[in-house]
Amino acid sequence: TLRLICTTTAVQRKNVGASGPEKYTEAFIKKQIEEFNLGKRHLANMMGEDPETFTQEDIDRAIAYLFPSGLFDKQARPMMKHPTEVFPEQRKIQWGEDGRPFHFLFYTGKQSYYSLMHETYEKFLNVQKHQDQLIAQDLPLQKEKRNLAGSRWLTKIELEEMLVEKLSDDDYSRFIQLLQKLVALPCADMEENYIQKFSKEVPVQLQKVVIEPLQYNEQGVAFSTGEGKRKTARATAVVYDNGTGKITVNGIDILHYFPVLQDREQLLFPFQFLGRIGKHDMVCTVSGGGRSAQAGAIRLASAKALRSFVTEKEVEFMRQAGLLTVDPRMKERKKPGQEGPRRKFTWKKR
Amino acid sequence: RIMPVRWSRYNPSYLEPEVKKESYQKPLEELTEEEREQMELKAVRPIKAAPPTLSSSVFSDPMISKFTNMMMKSGNKVLARSLMSQTLESIKRKQLEKYHKAPENEKETIECNPYVIFHQALKNCQPIIGLSNITRGGKTYQVPVPLTDNRKRFLAMKWLITECRENKHRRTMMPEKLSQELLLAFNNEGPVIKKKHVLHKMAEANRAYAHFRWW
Repeated sequence: TLRLICTTTAVQRKNVGASGPEKYTEAFIKKQIEEFNLGKRHLANMMGEDPETFTQEDIDRAIAYLFPSGLFDKQARPMMKHPTEVFPEQRKIQWGEDGRPFHFLFYTGKQSYYSLMHETYEKFLNVQKHQDQLIAQDLPLQKEKRNLAGSRWLTKIELEEMLVEKLSDDDYSRFIQLLQKLVALPCADMEENYIQKFSKEVPVQLQKVVIEPLQYNEQGVAFSTGEGKRKTARATAVVYDNGTGKITVNGIDILHYFPVLQDREQLLFPFQFLGRIGKHDMVCTVSGGGRSAQAGAIRLASAKALRSFVTEKEVEFMRQAGLLTVDPRMKERKKPGQEGPRRKFTWKKR
Repeated sequence: RIMPVRWSRYNPSYLEPEVKKESYQKPLEELTEEEREQMELKAVRPIKAAPPTLSSSVFSDPMISKFTNMMMKSGNKVLARSLMSQTLESIKRKQLEKYHKAPENEKETIECNPYVIFHQALKNCQPIIGLSNITRGGKTYQVPVPLTDNRKRFLAMKWLITECRENKHRRTMMPEKLSQELLLAFNNEGPVIKKKHVLHKMAEANRAYAHFRWW
């Protein structure tokens, strides 16, 4: 089996609540909440502030002031938070006093997941029945397409939190496939409310980066700067207007600094894409990394600098061509017990 | 299905970059429904950075870069790239020689563009059907199986390179031998085409086991 892994920090939280039976009783949690509220008022009194309007940020600041700690990990320092954030959500006991479980799917092991699948499939069948009725009456089917671009499905971790139950990758992908089939039907608008529970808006505002205006030097020539990085190389580029297409790196011409054709092609890539090869001059400084990494860093820096010379549409084209994203690939670390990042030691039978 | 990627430093929501300039200059009316949806999706999702081998210039070709990467040994891209350019140069020289020696009426049929020759030769080398080992009841059978586009391209390139590395005289250089093989493959002759035909015949011979395939 192959697992899809990527190293964004959002993916690394573990779902502790769904594992195993109840660890804390409800009465215990209630007591913790009362103690927390009392403690909050005492703290407000100590700091000389009003107990009624004492927010969580004030609590954090007060604790950081009263108990200063030099520990590196933020979660190892002393903290005072509401018990619902400290004790993870867990399920109440699923069976009554006689030992008989409440939910009819309890013995499947993943009751909330299977009940969710049953519900979704029921909605799917309802939509199909409605569609068949419309076809039987020769009425036109509603074809308003849902805007797929602005929303995404819940991730596996978010779904696990919602159901308070552990899911496997296979289960999650089956559920998403079922949702996609449901959305693909023409009359899916009647179940819009249900579908919205499982989709999240992707904020488009994330991609709005402020483009700096052009600066002018003493001769009146417009120029703009950009910074770029790739692997361990860091580069800064200054792109001047009304130029002849000369490019200088660390005081040396590119023909001498980059003897390989591929690197020079990368340097010229942003200019060639915008069609501005002979119009700009560039002076860059670069340090660190190897030959290819330095070329990539200068490419990113020059693309960022060119944004100020060019219309917004062309900036969007540059982004879709992959010129403005920082390449996150770095050298993978060597692990203990292995010879390299992936290569294991030679296996010897004896 | 979730596409199995062993480990990618990009978030799965990142899309592939589109480098060709022409696709951005098309006016809105000419696009089909799917392309419009693709455009909308691209406007919202983040996009991966373009790799160093890809560029929007006329000279960069994805097939040529794939072939160069397969020829590369121990990460020596400089050497592989120079071998590739020498191959293309030698193809051009041979074709020009033929062109100047040929009589007037045949001059138009001779193809001089090395990129066209390369693409056509690769296409001619691609097998249509492949064999895969399936074990049933202790015995392993060679079952004829359809191949995906990627797999066909990979097999064609792999055969060309292994052929050039092994069956040559000690003194011949790689570009020379490669250009020879490419020209033969362009005219549907040569050892690589023969290998493809052998594979097709084996698949035809094992036709009886085709029902063992379950995918």
